[in-house]
Order: sequence, then structure tokens, then C-alpha cells
Amino acid sequence: MPHAEARQAKPRGPLEWLLIGVVVFYAAVLLVGPLAAIFWGSLSHGLGVFWRAISVPNARSALWLTLLLGASATVINTVFGVVVAWVLVRDEFRGRKLVNGLIDLPFAVSPVIAGLMLILLFGRNGWLTPVAEALGVKLVFSLPGMLLATTFVSLPFVVREVMPVLTYAGTHQEDAACTLGASSWQTFWHVTLPTIRWGLLYGISLTLARALGEFGAVLVVSAGVSGLTETATLFIYRSLDDRNQVAAYSMAMVLALISFTILLLMELFKRRADEQ
Amino acid sequence: MSIALEQIAKHFGRQVIVDRVSLEVREGELFVLLGASGSGKSTILRITAGLLAPDHGRVLLHGRDVTGLPPQKRDVGFVFQNYTVFRHMTVAENIEFGLKIRRVPAAERRRRRDQLLDLVGLAGLGKRFPGQLSGGQLQRVAIARALAYEPKVLLLDEPFGALDVKIRTQLRRSLKEIQRKLGVTAILVTHDQEEAFELADRIGVLERGRLLEVGTAETLYAQPRSLSVATFLGGGAVLTGRAEKGAACFGEICLPLPAGVPHYEGDRVQVLIRPEQVVLSEQRTEGSMPAIGRGLITEQSFTGALRRVRVRLAHLAATRQIAPPLPFGEEGLLLDAVLPADSAPLSREVWVHLRGWHILTPPAPRLMVLETDSGLHAPLRLVRLLADRLGASATLVAFVETKEAAATLRRTLKSRLRDAGLSDVEVRFQYHDSAIQTIRQADPSHEMVILAPGPRRLKVPDPRTHGLDPLTLRILGESEVPVLLVKGETKSLSRVLICTAAGEHGKTDVQVGGRLARRLGAAVTLLYVARRAAEAGPVAHAHLERAAATLRSIDVASEVRVRESDSPAAGILAEAREGNHDLVVLGVHDPGSRSFFKIHDVTLQVIAAADRPLLIVPSREA
Repeated sequence: MPHAEARQAKPRGPLEWLLIGVVVFYAAVLLVGPLAAIFWGSLSHGLGVFWRAISVPNARSALWLTLLLGASATVINTVFGVVVAWVLVRDEFRGRKLVNGLIDLPFAVSPVIAGLMLILLFGRNGWLTPVAEALGVKLVFSLPGMLLATTFVSLPFVVREVMPVLTYAGTHQEDAACTLGASSWQTFWHVTLPTIRWGLLYGISLTLARALGEFGAVLVVSAGVSGLTETATLFIYRSLDDRNQVAAYSMAMVLALISFTILLLMELFKRRADEQ
Repeated sequence: MSIALEQIAKHFGRQVIVDRVSLEVREGELFVLLGASGSGKSTILRITAGLLAPDHGRVLLHGRDVTGLPPQKRDVGFVFQNYTVFRHMTVAENIEFGLKIRRVPAAERRRRRDQLLDLVGLAGLGKRFPGQLSGGQLQRVAIARALAYEPKVLLLDEPFGALDVKIRTQLRRSLKEIQRKLGVTAILVTHDQEEAFELADRIGVLERGRLLEVGTAETLYAQPRSLSVATFLGGGAVLTGRAEKGAACFGEICLPLPAGVPHYEGDRVQVLIRPEQVVLSEQRTEGSMPAIGRGLITEQSFTGALRRVRVRLAHLAATRQIAPPLPFGEEGLLLDAVLPADSAPLSREVWVHLRGWHILTPPAPRLMVLETDSGLHAPLRLVRLLADRLGASATLVAFVETKEAAATLRRTLKSRLRDAGLSDVEVRFQYHDSAIQTIRQADPSHEMVILAPGPRRLKVPDPRTHGLDPLTLRILGESEVPVLLVKGETKSLSRVLICTAAGEHGKTDVQVGGRLARRLGAAVTLLYVARRAAEAGPVAHAHLERAAATLRSIDVASEVRVRESDSPAAGILAEAREGNHDLVVLGVHDPGSRSFFKIHDVTLQVIAAADRPLLIVPSREA
């Protein structure tokens, strides 16, 4: 690794040692500390307590709901994210820049406000409530609304990860596939998708991590009815409110484990993407 | 014909990328499209492959019109400039891709793949991934992949552009071998002249979207027709001299013109001298090789087998050097020569002789015919007459407001052009664009602009314009090339009247009119109008004598007439009528004028009252 050599090449001065110390301290306080605390908090009473805490019906339903929402939002954002990225990179149309800018809206807007927007749209006397009613879908305080909120907050990741890869890859390989006789679909499946796969997987893992951890928007939209519309994060929040520390820590532990796994996968995907 | 392109045109935005290119490639031929970057060569290739749709024209592959077909249905192999080998597939999978898409059975695929790996010299590397191959190997894979499903046509877009020189040479050789072996018809695009020469059966040279010349490397190098091809392919000098008595003359030095070389006596001729045709020696040699003069060696460079020498000679009278370009502020003549590297060194001063030279064909004249919205039809009969006599090509530019109007006009124009025997005339439509803009953008290579002046359209005619329509006036004011205003009926062009006036900028119109008359084979009359014949004093006579001499210098005999008339315009028109002249030539004559129209009042009067064609020559110092 040429970078590593470059890093070691010159001797370190006192200022550099100081900086390294600051970074390690910062990471320890902000990243490792909380993790250790959660680990300690959930397991200090023994594995049995931990297991009981997360296997009560409400906890199981919350976990299940979180996974369901996370998976669904990820699937939706993967499909639409690829389409959006494709269109934004490959097509020139009026308003392209505007759409491109709007994609980042979920980053800029607080999730609580996002939830509020959905209430305004689909709540009582909401603008789109008649449409939703005509379709027979109840959005607010129910699963579809929560899915919508989760999808909204995790929307930019796939688009933002796939766009640069698509731009970088250019159209030459696709043109080549075209002249070799491949149809548009075959070209996408055999050429475009493999080209963007690592960037896409990285985007997917980011989306999933974000969706699993969502709290604010879902809270506003669902009101967090225990056993019905309560996700894992809402469960933790309510448990803390109920002074049920063990339940909160245990659920947090589970979420942290899932996130840690995703993080590992992300690192792997990112490395592959960078290699490309 | 294996590949035929018919009148292919393509523009991006307002920029014309490909300008009516027609091309035929024979079965099994390797055709090279050669041009600088931006000449439209890759665009032509992409249009042939179906990756781009042309605005105009047809693409035929083996007689089948494929213009509307997508690339997948054209059965064309394409090799791109940058490595487009699929990174996530092995070499074998890459090569089999086209076969897999076509659902060729696995056994057949494997057989074909191994055959191709062998053919491109990559046997045994099938399991490698592209990341493990060098640039040259990647392009070999690309070629194999493009050939896998046995396309009838192979298109290569600068396939060796990204490779270093040594590998490029190797690959060129392999490509030629493979192409011969398979007998596949191929078009290769490159900007590299050496590559074109080495590979091509025939070469087409492109410049700014136009196909300039097509021929074998030998023909294009030794006998290019145009200046662009002469300077683009290979080095050498291009000098402009005059054609005099069967020779190209540069002051005192005359080089005989080979028989059958098209030229106009007294006109300028361009001579191409290739470096290997320049002979340097210590002494002047008498013999068949004409000597150009004594020169100084200014530069020498060793290139391996050859030594390149640049010699500077004294300036030759009446000679202009076009290539190589002279450094700014310098005078003289630069000639390049090549010597065998092992030849004895020369002293600084050498005699320059020529072993051979080549005369470039003067560019074919082009006529621009304007179909303005004057309601009058473009004067096609006269256009036909001119085009035939001058061997000129004509472009008809029509101005329309809408696409529908263009479609209607296209139909009527088609039949009118057919009736006039001009079906090969190129027709262009311009939307919402004024004629003025077109005139301004007109290529100076156009010999003249032809139009029929519109009817009087001003409600309150401006007396200064003599009732002429504003568009015609503006065109006359803006055009840098002569404008032929068609009035009256014309059946022949055998008598030309050139109007001249003493003390005015009359030189250009005499030259332009004289040259045109000579090419038309028409008799020329020089006219001077005076209020009273006695008033035509020594100045006028001297002027007429100079004008006649100017005509004689370009080999045109003329009759000189002095006419008495109170009004110059009336005198000109009366003379034209009585002398039965078919064309009246007169100048705009007033370049410094501050008036809006920049046109001399006499000229306007003549235009307004004329009953026969007028050639209005812009004043410009010749």
C-alpha cells in the first residue's frame, strides 16, 4: 500500500502525537463509550434477563416491525434509487437540476418535520386524504404511513451512491453491449448492474442502517401504539420512559448488533467499490 | 457494395458535425476514415453502427437499408477507442457475450471462443479477468468479442488511440491480418496518418464534417486534389504561383504543368512539393531538374533512416507560401527536404532543385442560391446555365417559418428543380433565420450568391432606394462575394458588359467580371459612361486602358466603349440593350459610404431599372 508507506515515511513531531491523542480520545468518548455502556447495561444482569427482555410479545413485535419496515423501505429505495440515478445521469431534461437537488431534501429536513408533512398530507383534512381513502389505504397511525416515513428519510442513499458510479462508468460499455446485440434489458442486467453493484450495495446498506434506526418521523406518523405501531426505537424510548432500563438496553443491544453487522458489510462493499 | 452511406448529415445544436457525407465501402475492404479530432469521423461511425441517428441520409449494409434499425439488428461489430471490455467478466465470457445473447449452444460458443482467442493471439488467457491484462491485450479482447458472432461489418473507432507506439504497431499488423483472413468489411477511424497509410485499402479524408477526398494512400499522398488533403497527409511545401503558358510560374521560375492538369491561364495555381522531391546539392546542376535557387540550411534533424533538412530561400516574386507556415514577420521561402541519414553533410549554402511537383486542383466553384420569401421563384434556369458552364455545385437555401412550410416548399422545389435539370442540387432550409445571417455566415468559398430581387413591398417607398426591397438591399450591402441579381429572361451567357468608372474602386469588378467571362467563354465589353464623349478626358482613357490591360493579363480580350449619356444608369442600361448583353457587371463602388445601404446611387438605379441579370461585385482590394 503506497499510502501506508507515505504515512510512515516521515518522523512524527509532538504536534502529530497530540493530534493522534485527540482523535483516539474523541472516538473513545463518542463511539466506543456508548457501545460499551449499552453492552454493559444489557448484559450486566445476565443473558437470561436479556433474553426475557427482548422476547416479550411487545418487544418481538417491535423488532419484527422494524425489520419489516427497514427491509421494505430498502427494497423500494433500491429499485427507485437506481431508476432515479439512471435518469439523472443519463437523461437530459428540463428540471433535471431541480430533481437532483430535491433528492437531498430528506438529509436537510428533520425527520420530525418529515413526519409532520405526512400528517398534513394524509391526516384528518389532509390534502391527499381523499385520494388515500378512495384507494382504501389508511396512512396515518398505521403501517403504510410508517413505511412512507421510513422510505422518505432513507431515500437519498442509493441515488447518491449509484450516481457517481454511473457517471464514471460512462455509456461506452453499454454501447458495446448494444452493438453486440444485447437488448436494453439485457444490457442493464449483464453490463450496467454488475458495473454499479458495489456502489449499489453500499447504498443499500446505508439505506437499511438508516431505516432501522429511524425514530422521529415514525413516531410522529405512528404515535407508537405498543404492540401495533411501535418499532424497536420507539420501544426503547417507551421502555426508558417506563423506567424499564433492562428492556431498553437489551433492545438497543440487538439494534446495535444488527447495525454492526451492516457496518461490516458496508466496509466490505465500500472497499470493493473503491477498488473498482 | 458492403457499406454505403448516402448523404449522411448530423448536427448537434447549431453545429454541423457531419455535412452530407456519401461513402461506399467494397466487400472485404478495410476503409480508413482519417481526420483531425472534431472532423466528424466518429460520428459517422456511430451512425453506421446505429448508436446515433442521422438527421438526413441513409445507411445501407449489403444493400439493406438499416437507417431505422437499432444497433442490435444491424449485425455490426464495433470496437471502441477506450477499453470497453466488460470488467466483471472473464476474457472468455466477454468473447462469448454476443453469442450468448444470440442463444448459441454452449459447445459452439466454446469452439468459437477458442478459435478467436487463437486468432487474436490470446490463446490460454480465457480465464483471466480484464484487470489482469495490458491495454493492448484488452483491445485484442475487444476485437475478438466484436468478431465472435461473425458480423459482416466491423467498425473500429480509434482502436489503438490509447496504446503506446510499439504495441500500436503490433496490433495494427494483427488487425490487418485478421481482417484479411476473415474477409470482413471494415471501417476504421483514426487521426493518425501513419496508421491510415499502413492499414487502409482506401482512405477517406474528412475535414469539418465534409468528406474531402477518397483514394488509396499512394494517390492521396502523391496526387491530392485539395490543399487540405495535401497538407494533412505528409509534409512538404505548398506555393501559390500563376499559370502562364502551360507552366506554374513563381516570378522568374516556371515549372511545367503536366498535361491534363486543370487550371485557368493567368489564374493562381497551387503547387505541392513533397520533401522527397527536393534535391539539394553543392553546385547548380544543369539538366531536367529545374533549380529554384540557392538557400541556407536553417534546421537539420536526424530521424533514424532519414535526415530532415529545412532550407530557406530568398522570396520569389508573385509567390505566396501556404505551407509550411512562415514565422511571423519573416519573408522568404521555406522548403523541407529529406536525405538519407548517412549522406555526406552539406555546407550551409545549397542549391535547391526539384525532382517533381504536383499541381492541386482549384476548388470547384460553389453557388449559393437564395429562395427568399419574395414570392419570386429562385432563378433556376440561370443557375443551371452557370453551374454547367462553370462546373460548379449549387446549394439552394430556402427561408421558411415553419416545418410545415418547409415540407410544402420541399415538394414544390423538388419538381421545379427536376424541371430545371438540377435534381442534384443540395437544398437547405433555414427556420426563422434571416437571409442576412446566412449571407454573413456564407463560406467565402462560394463563388457568388444568386437571388431574384423581390417585388416592391414598401408602402411608402424610400426615394433613396429607388423602390428596391429592403432584403435585397441588405444582402447587397452585407455580402462579401459577388451577388447575381436575376432580372428578365436569360437564355444564354455569351456577352458580358463590365461597367467601369474612372477614379473609383473599379478594379475588383473588372477582374471578377473578366474571370467569369473567360470561364463562360463570353465576349467582354468594357463600358465608360460620360456626360459628353468629349468629357471623357485622359483620366478616363487611362483608366479604361488599365482595365483592358487587367483583362489581357488574365487572357481576356475586350472591346472598349465610351458612351454619352446624361444619366450614368440610363447609359449603362441603353448600352446593355443595344449591345444585347446577357450580363451586366458593376461594382457596389462605395465601401466608405456612411449611408445605410452602402451602395452607390448609380448602382441602385441600374438595379431598379434593369431588365437583365446583374452581377454586383463588392469592392474589396484584390
